[in-house]
Amino acid sequence: MHPHRVDYIILALYFAFVLGIGWRLRKRISSSGDFLTSGRSVPVWITSLAFIAANLGAVELVGMAGSGAKYGIMTAHFYWLGAIPAMLFMGIFMMPFYYGSKARSVPEYLKMRFDEKTRAFNAFSFAIMTIFSSGISMYALGILLQSVLGWSFDVSVLASAAIVLAYTFLGGLTSAIYNEVLQFFLIVMGFAPLAIVSVIKAGGWQGIVSRLPPKMTHAWSYMGSPTDNPMGVGIFSMVAGLGFVLSFGYWCTNFLVVQRAMAADSMSAARRTPLIGTLPKMFLPFIVILPGIAALALSKMSVGYAFPLKATGGPDYDKVLTTLMAQFYPAGLLGVGLTGLMASFMSGMAGNVTAFNTVFTYDIYQSYIRPGAPDRHYLTVGRVTTVVGVLLSIGAAYLATRFNNIMDFLQLVFGVVNAPLFATFLLGMFWKRTTAHGAFAGLTLGTLAAILTLSTTVAEGNGGWIAHLHTFQSQMAQNFWIAIIAFTTNFVITIVVSTFTTPRTDQDMEGLVYGLTKVPHDATAKWYERPAPLTVMVVILLLILNIWFR
Amino acid sequence: MDLRVPSGSFFTLIGLILLGMGAFAPHVGAAPLTTENVNLYSGAAMLVFGLFLLLMAWRATRLEKGSNS
Repeated sequence: MHPHRVDYIILALYFAFVLGIGWRLRKRISSSGDFLTSGRSVPVWITSLAFIAANLGAVELVGMAGSGAKYGIMTAHFYWLGAIPAMLFMGIFMMPFYYGSKARSVPEYLKMRFDEKTRAFNAFSFAIMTIFSSGISMYALGILLQSVLGWSFDVSVLASAAIVLAYTFLGGLTSAIYNEVLQFFLIVMGFAPLAIVSVIKAGGWQGIVSRLPPKMTHAWSYMGSPTDNPMGVGIFSMVAGLGFVLSFGYWCTNFLVVQRAMAADSMSAARRTPLIGTLPKMFLPFIVILPGIAALALSKMSVGYAFPLKATGGPDYDKVLTTLMAQFYPAGLLGVGLTGLMASFMSGMAGNVTAFNTVFTYDIYQSYIRPGAPDRHYLTVGRVTTVVGVLLSIGAAYLATRFNNIMDFLQLVFGVVNAPLFATFLLGMFWKRTTAHGAFAGLTLGTLAAILTLSTTVAEGNGGWIAHLHTFQSQMAQNFWIAIIAFTTNFVITIVVSTFTTPRTDQDMEGLVYGLTKVPHDATAKWYERPAPLTVMVVILLLILNIWFR
Repeated sequence: MDLRVPSGSFFTLIGLILLGMGAFAPHVGAAPLTTENVNLYSGAAMLVFGLFLLLMAWRATRLEKGSNS
């Protein structure tokens, strides 16, 4: 791929705008709340787009196109079966507790609902995970730009980290969120043309269907048995593992995304943030996954597109997106596409950094290191943590260059930590009998169950360090089953321990639990400002998409 | 700050650059598999989107002024 001068001009223009937004917003910061939680003042259309952009990092963008080529339209389950039902649940049922409790972070909600030890468990594991995931995505971006454009790994990693640092340091969470919206627009504008031209070249959807085996173009029809479909998963593990445990665990409890909704300017806006977010999210597969499917079809036609291969000869799915760009984008549009790739990286990294500095400042520093200091002190700590967070991420990126397998290993670890979490929130929010000891026992044993499952089963050469009790068809199936087992263990243990320990009084839990919290009814609001009609509309659209691509 | 102003200005600028490329330099850095003038079409779409955001921002400030006076 050979960018021209105009492509670099577009990239430079984007950097100038990103920094300009940070610079303009710097005056809005006068307290730690302004810096770390946006002072709960961001308009709803902005929080909704930031909600989905913070999750749309470069690794996801490149990975989704690759998965489109590897698994076909089934990849869309990450959106249509996973993310969207979870986002609806979060907006309708969980947001009233997060926003209404006035907690400043997800770990802080756990402290209010349960106790210190559950908060500490969540705060520390989350802080470590955000650093490593931003480091890993930085590493992936550096490697990608090095192999596709020949750019220096050091320069691309350090320069992009410096820009993210500059605008998050200046304008805090508000700046990260505002930039995420610009980044979201750019990702859509930069990659929608690629989807359109590549699908047209492959003869439209009908042309793709005629050139690929039917299991690549049907999302549901081949899920009867794990051996029938390209993902190697059965319908139960797909629906329960991905659709329920993993997606609800991510979208409803991960502070990285929840933080965006908590920055909204009212309870009603906070609830609508994930709901409105589902509308663009639902159609993202057409931009991020479809080009991958088109690439596979194109490689079977004689139009001059060769599927990218690794040095060892196997297909190189990570290069699908960039080879398509090289083949279809002329100078100019190529610049927009590359800028979109950089933008997605920055939105993902800024999301991690702003979630990290909030959790560190409020849940670790203010709670355990120095409580009771004046707010000005915590603003300084928030700023310093932003710098430290970026430096640690850079460190993690270089660690990944030295230990190649560390990426795969850490992704397994994240899965293990995330898997049981949702049970704790589900019971904590909807069963007032849940006790602090119950939650902590459930969470610890749930995590242990996840580790045990990983250590006793094998999939594609991964896991099975203690024993080899079962072999999964694919790593995806293994992940889904780890999640199901961890969730169930946590759920059962929490209930059992809770029934044997003393619950808190009702007054203590006002605003934190279902039944003891006033959920606002906006009967006077216009229909599109109320959660229910919005949800009905989303569900109908979702059903249409699932049936269409069944 | 109204976010529609910087976003709108950004896409207006990018739209104009792509339109310029499509109209005056259609063969510079041409892509191997694309025969259509995609710079022209995408540039037009981005220009329209940018101007739309700017229009919405301008309308919002006008409404605000109207309600203040």
